[in-house]
Amino acid sequence: MEEISHIPQITLNLLGFNLVFNIETIVMTWIVMGILITFGFLATRKIAFVPNPFQVVGELLVSSFYDLTKDALGEDMVKKYFPLICSLFMFLLLSDWLGIIPMLSEPTKDLNTPLSLGIMGFCIAHYSGIKVKGIKQYVKGYCEPIIFMAPLNLIGELAKVISISFRLFGNIMGGAIIILVVSHLVYSLILPPLLVFFFGLFVGTIQAFVFTMLTLVYISLQVK
Amino acid sequence: MLNTATYISASSFLGAALAIGFGAIGAAVGEGYAAGLANQALSFRPEKSGDVLKNMLVGQAIAESAAIFALVVAILLLFSTPQPKTVLIAWAAIGAGLSMGLSAIGSGVGAGLPAGSACVGIVRQPQNANKVLTTMLIGSAVCQTPAIFGMVIAFLLLFLDFSNMPVYPGWAALLGAGLATGLAAGGPGVGNGLTSREAVTGVARNPEAGTETNRVMLIGLSVGQSTAIYGFLISLLLVFTGLEKSTSLSDSFRLLGAGLSSGFGGIGPGVGLGVVAAYACKWVARRPEATGILTRTMLVGMAVTESTSIYALIVALLLVIVF
Amino acid sequence: MNIAGPDFIKGLAFLGAGLAMGLGAIGPGVGEGFAAGKACEAIGRKPEEAGLLTRTMLVGQAVSESTGIYSLVVALLLLFVV
Repeated sequence: MEEISHIPQITLNLLGFNLVFNIETIVMTWIVMGILITFGFLATRKIAFVPNPFQVVGELLVSSFYDLTKDALGEDMVKKYFPLICSLFMFLLLSDWLGIIPMLSEPTKDLNTPLSLGIMGFCIAHYSGIKVKGIKQYVKGYCEPIIFMAPLNLIGELAKVISISFRLFGNIMGGAIIILVVSHLVYSLILPPLLVFFFGLFVGTIQAFVFTMLTLVYISLQVK
Repeated sequence: MLNTATYISASSFLGAALAIGFGAIGAAVGEGYAAGLANQALSFRPEKSGDVLKNMLVGQAIAESAAIFALVVAILLLFSTPQPKTVLIAWAAIGAGLSMGLSAIGSGVGAGLPAGSACVGIVRQPQNANKVLTTMLIGSAVCQTPAIFGMVIAFLLLFLDFSNMPVYPGWAALLGAGLATGLAAGGPGVGNGLTSREAVTGVARNPEAGTETNRVMLIGLSVGQSTAIYGFLISLLLVFTGLEKSTSLSDSFRLLGAGLSSGFGGIGPGVGLGVVAAYACKWVARRPEATGILTRTMLVGMAVTESTSIYALIVALLLVIVF
Repeated sequence: MNIAGPDFIKGLAFLGAGLAMGLGAIGPGVGEGFAAGKACEAIGRKPEEAGLLTRTMLVGQAVSESTGIYSLVVALLLLFVV
């Protein structure tokens, strides 16, 4: 049961700083990137009117997220933010599903992945907000409705980052811990695969969708 | 006095009792509510009894899952015999029992609410049964997430090795970790149930708005779980932070106070966030063309409602990190 | 455990700060949530009045928040002053 707290790491000492690499997470992320790039290549190789299966899946994803982004951001800004939203969803969906394949584990199980994606979404939202509204209007936005609320609004923005990152991390790592513990306790062929399908497919899909939708909504709140 | 192994045995039994004692409350209330509304639905149309019964049983099964998580933790505590390396295992057992038991209350009640309103919805408009069932399944399943957070903390407390943690103030850290997630998961569980109930009723009345309602329901459910996530964060901090040995009362009680602050602070805002999302879902189903403004208002309202739980989180963080 | 005078006071002050903020967050959470929910309902009935309705909601929530702020003040006093 000690695998719960065991993280394979490599520590390098560079210029006096200790750099720690979580090797398992990095390799799994490379695998996800490889699969996504291969999928993209296969889906757009010969764009025909009668599509091959990869093109069908690709068109389905692209069109549904284009509509979603257009609903939230309006027609003029959709082309700028849509690639971010669609690729975020595809990366998270595949990362959460990777645990189903034996020998592989989800890169989102490590807190670094969801937290960095959350901080990235936060920076993009606020940078876009400053660019669109100008810095005076942006700072004034924190003083609504009363100036005393300004520090609380600021903390509220940070709390948004924490909540979306930890929600994804908690759900995926929680699922992995539960599957590990149940597999140790019960010698059964039926129960662990059922749990893997529930936590990997169902919960993973919902959490990937929720993370993407919340990032989109936070960007649209700043930009509008 | 008693030796370590005796303490560990006794506390494991106490933890098991707390886990299943608290955990049995919520699921029973939720399932009873579902059964009551199923009967009310059947009184309108007795010939639909097959569909309604099937729906009620599926919904009750999902509400039961929180209590089954609690039963699993209770049986683990009853029958496991860990090595008596440190008396902290005793406190970890009590913390695990509290964490799992308290968090199962909210999720159990919350998952029963959409099951009941799904039965009523199916009877009013039987041709939309599939959409209603889908919304109910998604809502109830996401509603179990706070209980899953409670179970994760319970497993971490049961199975991590605490030999390196000093006993004083480690006992308060482990007890506080159990309380933080356990209490804080109660509010979002009930709140998520309120949201799903309104979303299911809305889809039953207006199935063409199903997609928008499902989307707003998912956003509302997920943001509504934020207070449980803050409690989860404090629990992880308390379990994994490096503590120095100190026998003073203030060091122990500050960790316990952090757990209580973050735990209790999640209850009220959790219910409030659920009420906001419930009204938003209800009106998105009635007027899908106003989805944009409704979603934005819902998120602004949720952000302000969450503020007291953020105060509680700040007090907890101050207690753990600064003092 | 070492239960001496000043240490006892500080210990219970920390516990009290936790209880004060924790329990004090329950009420405003439920109340503000109800206010925001009814605001969503009102906007659902009349989306064109969204500005006025949102402003009223925020003012109402700010007043509901007041007991939460009292709890926060007492908790901070217990932490820093006692």
